[in-house]
Amino acid sequence: MALALVNSFAPPVRLDHEGRTESPVIDARNIGVNFKVEHGTVEAVKDISFQLYRGETIAIVGESGSGKSVTARTVMGLLSKRAVVAPKSTVEYDGANILKYPERQRRKLRGDRISMIFQEPMSSLNPIYTIGGQIVEAIRVHQKMSKKQAYARALELLKHVQIPDPEARLRQYPHQLSGGQRQRVMIAMALSNEPDVLIADEPTTALDVTVQAQILNLIRNLQKEMRMAVILITHDLTVVRQFSDYVYVMQHGEMREHNTTEKLFANPQHAYTKHLLSSEPRGQANPLPEGSEVILDAKNVRVSFMMRHGTFFKPELKELVAVDSLGLTLRKHETLGLVGESGSGKTTFGQALLRLNDTDNGEIYFDREPIHGKSRAEMRPLRSRMQIVFQDPFSSLNPRMTIGQIIEEGLVVNKLGANKAERLDRVREALIAAGMPGNILSRFPHEFSGGQRQRIAIARAIALEPEFILLDEPTSALDLSVQAQIIELLRKLQDERGLSYLFISHDLKVVRALCHRVIVMQHGKIMEEGPVNEVLTNPKTAYTERLVKAAFEVA
Amino acid sequence: MLAFDSAPPPPHEETVKNQPGGSESYLSLVWRRLRRSWTGLIGLVLVALLILMSIFADFFAPMDPKATDVGFAPPQMISFYDKDGNLTYPPRVYALGESEELDPVTFQPIVGPDYDNPRLLGFFVTGAEYKLFGLIPTSRHFFGSIDGQPVHLLGTDKFGRDVLSRAIIGSRISLTIALTVVFIVTVIGTTVGMVSGYFGGSFDTWVQRFVEVVLAFPQLPLYLALTSLIPVTAPTNVFLGFVIIVMSALGWAQMSREVRGKTLALARIDYVRAAMAVGATDRRIIFQHIFPNVMSHVIVAVTLHIPSVVLLESFLGFLGFAVKPPLISWGLMLQDTANYSVIGTYPWILAPVGFVLITVFAFNALGDGLRDAVDPY
Repeated sequence: MALALVNSFAPPVRLDHEGRTESPVIDARNIGVNFKVEHGTVEAVKDISFQLYRGETIAIVGESGSGKSVTARTVMGLLSKRAVVAPKSTVEYDGANILKYPERQRRKLRGDRISMIFQEPMSSLNPIYTIGGQIVEAIRVHQKMSKKQAYARALELLKHVQIPDPEARLRQYPHQLSGGQRQRVMIAMALSNEPDVLIADEPTTALDVTVQAQILNLIRNLQKEMRMAVILITHDLTVVRQFSDYVYVMQHGEMREHNTTEKLFANPQHAYTKHLLSSEPRGQANPLPEGSEVILDAKNVRVSFMMRHGTFFKPELKELVAVDSLGLTLRKHETLGLVGESGSGKTTFGQALLRLNDTDNGEIYFDREPIHGKSRAEMRPLRSRMQIVFQDPFSSLNPRMTIGQIIEEGLVVNKLGANKAERLDRVREALIAAGMPGNILSRFPHEFSGGQRQRIAIARAIALEPEFILLDEPTSALDLSVQAQIIELLRKLQDERGLSYLFISHDLKVVRALCHRVIVMQHGKIMEEGPVNEVLTNPKTAYTERLVKAAFEVA
Repeated sequence: MLAFDSAPPPPHEETVKNQPGGSESYLSLVWRRLRRSWTGLIGLVLVALLILMSIFADFFAPMDPKATDVGFAPPQMISFYDKDGNLTYPPRVYALGESEELDPVTFQPIVGPDYDNPRLLGFFVTGAEYKLFGLIPTSRHFFGSIDGQPVHLLGTDKFGRDVLSRAIIGSRISLTIALTVVFIVTVIGTTVGMVSGYFGGSFDTWVQRFVEVVLAFPQLPLYLALTSLIPVTAPTNVFLGFVIIVMSALGWAQMSREVRGKTLALARIDYVRAAMAVGATDRRIIFQHIFPNVMSHVIVAVTLHIPSVVLLESFLGFLGFAVKPPLISWGLMLQDTANYSVIGTYPWILAPVGFVLITVFAFNALGDGLRDAVDPY
């Protein structure tokens, strides 16, 4: 309580309430949530207050662990059993404190007056029921309606969320729909009872960028039509700026600042907000030195997978071409971006270039040495010169090995360093170069955060002093501010060591900040290629244009 | 403006806690998680006690397991009362004896506790001689009667041998069989599973078809057929070895299946790819990356496999196919219970069932506790 009074940036009542005559739909004051853990409790949310008026969108912004989802779930009454809501918390809906409601009464509210859509459309629909059946259930729980009427209503809803061919969808199962379509179905379900409040918890994070824009526009249009109030929970500042009227900024379970979107972006007050806004990837790659040599040259690389099709008695093999005769050249000191949506084959292509995948055909030259057709054993002497950093820092470090063992492995395998002491010196050096302290050799990966682990993974790559690093979405799993630090680190390492990067990403903002040239891929083919500024400012294909729009405008 | 709260948030999340002396080891993490499950802890304590008991079986057994006394004598109760009903110390047991009075109906001598000859009990008494670990001759027992008279807390079998002592000594063979079988099964199963799962392809396909053949064998008839192949005249230790081999030959397939599944998932995980990218050999990847991560799974599978072997041994022993006298095992002891009239009249010879039950429960409880504890990350 005292804290809320002290924090001049985040008073419990909104700054712009003067102009309004109506009372808010939801008036949440002093929400506090504790989680019971092994030793005592963790305060996930401390003293959060927010107001939501009819017909507007508020955004709750914060990095992972900031408590934004917990806040939303408190409003919905969907907290886990270990959560304890502080007694002083109130959430007023329709003039009554719904936190004091018994479970039966809350259930009536949930899905009827207050609905929620979740991040993961793959797992929030039940795979064994049809789409129609699930929407009908959502309707009939709250409204007295015959099955027939409910199906008619479901069809109407599906039309509303603009799913192509809605009649057929009613009879389909979730696995027959794409991610974006599933999220549309989730929205249809959430809207089935025309709620007053829609809570969207990272509704587009799991979707491709171009689909993301469609979904957010759909939510906005439906909101206008139905005069809903929307709580948008997200970490993506571009989305916030485009879609919300009022922004609440959270960090470590506390409200740091809130203001109208316009004012907050124009004039952030709290140091954390300023920090967050400045974390958007910015800057450019340093210019290439003149006449730098080609380090990696690939021609006609093709990778395909065989899919078994048909029945046992009549087997059919279907070839899935993941990478369709692609080529690229990468110069020393250069960063080449490889951009595309999920399933475009960019990771497969990247790993094929390092010969971690088998290729059907194609020529790959590393430093003018042909490496296509080399066996794994023959590749071994070259391994220390080409390295890889993966997307997910949680699965790329062996949990049973210490940081020292993980980074030292490459040195041991490649017989670098005369003895253990010398190798450990190199490990420490690499850690320090990657911005980590050198005294963590005996620690285990689980003791570090995502950003720290990614630094360790980078240290593992640079310990071998490679000339070329394949960066496979190294920043996608990280929070915005950590992402900015990693980009900074990569740029610094490139300057210091003359590294060449092949940077795989779906995020054009990061690509702009880091790459010299960019290749846009779709369905295993190259759509467009060129210097990064040219491609981003003047895209030649419609696909690239969509990607660019999605990344920089979300509209 | 207000200075209290405008302290800037840490610009770097990279504040590494500086703990002296590195971090908690894997074992201490597992121990911390295991402590949370009380059934797991009970299992751990029981397993430890069982193993101690079988190692020092001669010491814990109050009697010589081969010494004979009255056949089918019922269990003797420990009593703290003397003949006149006064509380006394040390505790004693009263053996059954025939009194001089006759039953007025049958004219048989009345049988009842012989209150005149109490057998006083004590700890660390001298009794039957034995060699500890087969080396050190001693006659010290954990408990027994002070003057070396027979004490049968769980009664005697048909030859008048002490059931409790035999069950304690029988734990040795039963547990040895279980642990040896599980050891062999684990070594073979883990190796086959890891290699098959890691290399994949057609090698994996053929290995898995073979595993399926082994799994599809009707196991019980096969046990009976295989064990009856052993000549009856074979020395007991040869016989025992044969039983172990048969059990292992049929048991490894299941284990290799489980390990293969886990390996398949691990072989595609990023840290294995990263190891390939630094140029590590297959051998190194299997031993450094796959093996330690499969281990946790294997440990659980082992603790859950042991009870099934104990049960199998008791079952085959009951049918007379596992262990032959003069060795003692729980299954063999249960062979005597095959007869309805024997069970009805002398139920105490079912006592080994209790030992089997406790063993099975102990290992299962420990396995369940470990399952949650072995993956602390």
